[in-house]
Amino acid sequence: MAGRANFKQETILKLLQMQFKDEKTRVSGDAQKVMTTLMQIYVSEAAARAAKQAKNEGTTVVGVDHFEKILPQLMLDF
Amino acid sequence: MSDDEDYEKLAHQQKLKAAVHYTTGQICEEFAEEEEVTYSRQFIAAVTEAAYKQIQSYGRDLELFARHAKRMTIQPDDVKLLVRKTPQLHEYISQLCKDDEEDNGQKKKRGKSTNKGGKKKTSSTLTDTTNIGEDSSESRLFQDS
Repeated sequence: MAGRANFKQETILKLLQMQFKDEKTRVSGDAQKVMTTLMQIYVSEAAARAAKQAKNEGTTVVGVDHFEKILPQLMLDF
Repeated sequence: MSDDEDYEKLAHQQKLKAAVHYTTGQICEEFAEEEEVTYSRQFIAAVTEAAYKQIQSYGRDLELFARHAKRMTIQPDDVKLLVRKTPQLHEYISQLCKDDEEDNGQKKKRGKSTNKGGKKKTSSTLTDTTNIGEDSSESRLFQDS
């Protein structure tokens, strides 16, 4: 479990830089690391909550409809 | 000329989205094993889209936060501000920043010879992360509130 899949720091950095209006804006190494973890938590939460929702509904296949139901709370939490 | 630029920008975005999609798929696969469920392709695509939109909004916020602090470089403190509204997440991210700081402090103090120690530290932080995900206690914490 120690190696749970995570985003590449480079991917996260490029995604952030895409939004910067000033090209002189930099992202420190530690901030990149923390952002990477944050995005991993986001996706993990989405997966875990949707799985819970699907189980509550008595299925083991998690589809978009389950995601639709957990999305509002997910958006409030992040 | 500008059409070419637009095309290149679009291709760049698509590549990044593909990278997000890949990792999202991996994370979901791990959860699928743990929770004994299967995630549909559409689900993974939808989560990718949500994560992509989320990080775009984070990017805009982070730049403004750094600018407000009269900095050109985004620091971990800016990320703390980003998650200030969710207490559990804020606490977790703060701890992560603190660990990183201590890590850096140690590396500076002891120099090259402690690289091994530094690496150990990182792996222990990683296990902490994993533990939280493992019993999805965070998810429970959130739902309680």
